[in-house]
Amino acid sequence: MGKAFDIMLIFEFIPTLIHYLGVTLQILAVSIILGFVLGIAAAIPRLYKIPLLNQLVILYVSFIRGTPILIQLFLVFYGLPALLMLLFSIDITRMEAIYFVIITYAISNGAGFSEIFRAAIRAVDYGQTEAAFSVGMTSRQNFFRIVLPQAVRIAFPNMANSVIGSLKDTSLAFTIGVMDMMGRGDTLIAATAHALEVYLSLSIIYYIVVLLFEKIFSKLEKYFNRYQKADVTAVA
Amino acid sequence: MIYLKGIKKSFNQLPVLKGINLKIEKGEVVTILGPSGSGKTTLLRCLNFLEKPNAGLVQIGNIIVDAEKATKKEMLAIRKQSAMVFQHYNLFAHKTVVENVMEGLIVAKKVKKKDARQQSERVLDKVGLSDKLDHYPSQLSGGQQQRVGIARALALNPEVILFDEPTSALDPELVGDVLSVIKSIAQEGITMVVVTHEMSFAREVSNRVLFMDEGVIVEEGTPLEIFHAAKEERTRRFLQRISGETYFLPLKEQVN
Ligand SMILES: Nc1ncnc2c1ncn2[C@@H]1O[C@H](COP(=O)(O)OP(=O)(O)O)[C@@H](O)[C@H]1O
Ligand SMILES: [Mg+2]
Repeated sequence: MGKAFDIMLIFEFIPTLIHYLGVTLQILAVSIILGFVLGIAAAIPRLYKIPLLNQLVILYVSFIRGTPILIQLFLVFYGLPALLMLLFSIDITRMEAIYFVIITYAISNGAGFSEIFRAAIRAVDYGQTEAAFSVGMTSRQNFFRIVLPQAVRIAFPNMANSVIGSLKDTSLAFTIGVMDMMGRGDTLIAATAHALEVYLSLSIIYYIVVLLFEKIFSKLEKYFNRYQKADVTAVA
Repeated sequence: MIYLKGIKKSFNQLPVLKGINLKIEKGEVVTILGPSGSGKTTLLRCLNFLEKPNAGLVQIGNIIVDAEKATKKEMLAIRKQSAMVFQHYNLFAHKTVVENVMEGLIVAKKVKKKDARQQSERVLDKVGLSDKLDHYPSQLSGGQQQRVGIARALALNPEVILFDEPTSALDPELVGDVLSVIKSIAQEGITMVVVTHEMSFAREVSNRVLFMDEGVIVEEGTPLEIFHAAKEERTRRFLQRISGETYFLPLKEQVN
């Protein structure tokens, strides 16, 4: 058991922990960007029904959906070095843990995003594509000028939810030894035995960051919806 | 000039156009009449390759495409010869009124943005929407949206404008406005092909009326010939049914 509860410790812990918020946000930002690219790449075979790739993406998405992120993290952490060694004799066992975390979250986000994009692109009224063709646009021009901007609006609320979920998921990174906020919290507990105060401090920080994100996202959403009469929520 | 030869189109083995031949001179206003499902929309969409005909030749202006061998590039080229006004307007929802009209000019015709804006404003003035330039489609009535659709087509200055039932999705009180805009551009000598159920438009504005049924052009002629001296039984029956409906409308309204 820990020591007696001391609320003042929270004020002491928060500044120490917040120091590591940067690492958390870094993991989040990079894995979101990579996930975004992966998500678009994975949505394309689904939208255009490219044989084989389509089935592969379906499997990928359902596997990610059907397994806990913590296990995915361990699979990447232990599996990726083994795989690379086996296939290319590349040794990455000494790569920093944070990269495994980023890879895992990128793969996980990519699966979620691909489904969100797919649904959003499908949801854009096909009549507008026909109108774009009728004024002489190419498929590519139609995609980038007409479909994508509207798909982004439709996808946005779901994307925002994913980002927030992902932010909270980064708290698992410490399990493979990454020194993010959680990691630092872990060491604080070991040093002070004030586990409750550490977890309270952490929840305060996560909560405030999530509230901030939500605020920003709702502003952005208003901007995206400026041409919408009534709020149309996504289909995904 | 538009020239169609042997246009055939099937959906899932079901023939919808059974070999359409048609020639339309520059400046002609042609209306297409016919019962629902007779292939009118499909014919219009074959003209700009929104549907690719299974066989036949399509010529608009100086572009000729053999449908069977049509490449993407050819389809794009022939599309640029025409513009279309849709039944459900199909405006770009994320763009303002003036941007909707500018879009084709900038992207397909490579007009400079500033010039495109000027041209678009001029055309929007013509359809009576000068005061709505920066509105989004969702902020407009159906009639206003359709006038944007007409402006979008008109701005491209195409060889031909294709209208697919441009007023049939509108509330009755808004039909008149849109029809009078279409009439006024018809009088400017722009070639138009109009699918419509508005008999007054067919009668008063068009140079030629086609009657389609079951994937063929059953009969064609001047409005006078078609409305007063139709040779084909099918044409006469159709016109009788339609005019029956329109005679009833004012009565119904009086009752209400
Ligand atoms: N994309 C499509 N797929 C399958 N059938 C279609 C498609 N478009 C039209 N059809 C069929 O073709 C026939 C003619 O349709 P259409 O050209 O829309 O007639 P109209 O405009 O004269 O009412 C109808 O039977 C319709 O169901
Ligand atoms: Mg139709």
